[in-house]
Amino acid sequence: MKIDTGNFVRNAKLEMQNQYARTFLSLLPPYIAARRVKVMGSFPDPAAAQELSRAIRAEAVARMPDLLEEFEKNAVAAGARVLWARNAAEANEMVLSIARERNVTMVTKGKSMISEETGLNDALAREGIEPFETDLGEFIAQQLGRPPFHIVGPAINVPVEEVCDLFMKKAGMQEETTDPVELGYAARLFLRDKFRRARLGITGVNMAVADTGAIINVENEGNIRFNKSSPRTQVSVMSPEKVVPTTTDALHLLRVLCRNCTGQSISAYVSIDRGPREPAEIDGPEELFIIIVDNGRSRLYHDPKLREALRCIRCGACLNLCPVYAKIGGYPYGWAYSGPMGQVLNPALLGLEETSDLFNACTLCGTCREVCPAGIDHPAIFLHYRALEVKRKRRSSGRWETILFGVWGTAAAHSAVWRFLYRLARPVLAVFGNNGKIEAMPGPFAGWFGARDLPVPARRTFRDQWRESLSKQGGAS
Amino acid sequence: MKESAREEILARLRQAPKMEIPARPVMPTPREVLLDRDGLTARFTEELTRESGVVYRAADREEILDYLTEIARAESLTRIMMSTDDMIRSLDLPAWGERQGVSVSTAADYPDRESYTRAVFDETDAGVTGADFAVAETGTLVIAHGGNQPRLVSLAPVLHVAVVGIDRLVPTYEDALSVFYGDAGLIPPAHLTLVTGPSMTADIRATAFKGMHGPRRVIVILAG
Ligand code: SF4
Repeated sequence: MKIDTGNFVRNAKLEMQNQYARTFLSLLPPYIAARRVKVMGSFPDPAAAQELSRAIRAEAVARMPDLLEEFEKNAVAAGARVLWARNAAEANEMVLSIARERNVTMVTKGKSMISEETGLNDALAREGIEPFETDLGEFIAQQLGRPPFHIVGPAINVPVEEVCDLFMKKAGMQEETTDPVELGYAARLFLRDKFRRARLGITGVNMAVADTGAIINVENEGNIRFNKSSPRTQVSVMSPEKVVPTTTDALHLLRVLCRNCTGQSISAYVSIDRGPREPAEIDGPEELFIIIVDNGRSRLYHDPKLREALRCIRCGACLNLCPVYAKIGGYPYGWAYSGPMGQVLNPALLGLEETSDLFNACTLCGTCREVCPAGIDHPAIFLHYRALEVKRKRRSSGRWETILFGVWGTAAAHSAVWRFLYRLARPVLAVFGNNGKIEAMPGPFAGWFGARDLPVPARRTFRDQWRESLSKQGGAS
Repeated sequence: MKESAREEILARLRQAPKMEIPARPVMPTPREVLLDRDGLTARFTEELTRESGVVYRAADREEILDYLTEIARAESLTRIMMSTDDMIRSLDLPAWGERQGVSVSTAADYPDRESYTRAVFDETDAGVTGADFAVAETGTLVIAHGGNQPRLVSLAPVLHVAVVGIDRLVPTYEDALSVFYGDAGLIPPAHLTLVTGPSMTADIRATAFKGMHGPRRVIVILAG
């Protein structure tokens, strides 16, 4: 997948002018967020349920290497082939060679964030293997060549007129319509034919259960079930942090995931696979490959703060409540993951150089942390990134910032210096005043005023007035 | 020899500093556990109905077949594919079909996988299957797939009718899944599905509708 995190500011400005997306953002995320609260209430003790899911995710990440080995052992015992890929290129090459060996020219896919990460679709297409995303939203996003707008509704912002054009051109739709249901049925018809013919089905993995070697997928549409039923070969791609200790843990996470994701108490379908089909079965995959893709995770695992990012279960609750996401939508985050989840994950996986706008575009309000069922402290991670970035930059750039903060630091620590400098600065500041406000200043200060005003300092400071009134009182007595 | 990706990844993970495993809170008992059979039935029905599923309660084999006749008439069914688990086998649907003018097939009637696939995708009006459990918690069917429970029969046709014994109605997912994945359990199936109502989506303009890829309608007959 193309990485465009470096253009966050430009793309955010563009998206803020998109009236359609803005209307949508003002309606849907608050609606899902409200539903979430309601359905969390179906737990006898919602706070305990949240605490338990956080504990399970923390434990799963802490025990990750052991759990992975246990999962692998049990999956292999059930007949699955488990492959390990260091990075995106290796993972894609594995899928390609599986496809080539079986003379496959077309594959169907269930939504998989890790395959967005590795750019699997592009890799397949380059080799002449046609990939079809089969989740409706993902199918639209793929055909439009866009990244996911929202993790749960990847194309939920796309106007129906645009979907209509797209389906007329690329999904064999016969008659124009702007009815979302008719559009959905057109896609059903088109993709059904792909399901029937596909020899290779690719899915992601929501959870991999260590003590049974089973993989679990959660969905509403049925496309993942088709991918696990119709093709003769199934490839399921996962990142290492998907592993959880037991089925019981997985079931609790399942309850919490669905509630946080779409405000459902459970999704329409959950499917659990342990190995390929049994010999007596007439459908289902004859072979099951599970590809575990590291793609940088074992490295960031060494930083205790970054390791926390691996707890994420991709529920999307933090997106729905984030005030920044609510203004700009998913595109500016520039990669597979958006919203607070993306602000945590994209820098962790891509490095800080091209992603600094992501962790700086945050008011640290903490709503994401409050809602997160995985127990991620997003603001603390952003501060960690910011600190790392400052350390990294000190040697190369930010001269003005360093000087100014040096001066400010000294002044703030010495009251005499502070008073002296402030006395100097006040008349200077007053020069830029206009109607009691300073709206712009030149030089190194220009940036600060880009989004803020400063009130013009009063003619006399509070301290001056205080001293004066004291001396007056003294004089009167 | 160059280290394999597996060894490299695992070694790097193991070299990282260990972190504490937090204590787990005690969860209160799920409310469903306290329900009696009527309570469970009511809960199952309420939950599944909310997802646009339909639940019938049948006392015996005759009543089950009556419901099927009613459904076949209302939905103008002419071609049904059925699973071959004990519950469905006990109904002798082929004989029923003959009386009703409905053709009833099983996966075993097709000479190979291709012709079965074609039939279940394109030549079947409804899939009729058993289910291993019905879970009251969310109106969910638990289906362990296998030779007698093909995957596509409950998925590809536009209507799915499931017949489940009332003795298989349990409070929570754990009650059902521990049978398959627990210590004393059966051999876990290669493929197990939890099905709650019809297939659905809300991916275009957040407009929700049923029947995206899988069935548009789900009917459950609770029997016994
Ligand atoms: S960071 Fe937390 S709230 Fe956000 S998607 Fe991940 S698990 Fe959900």
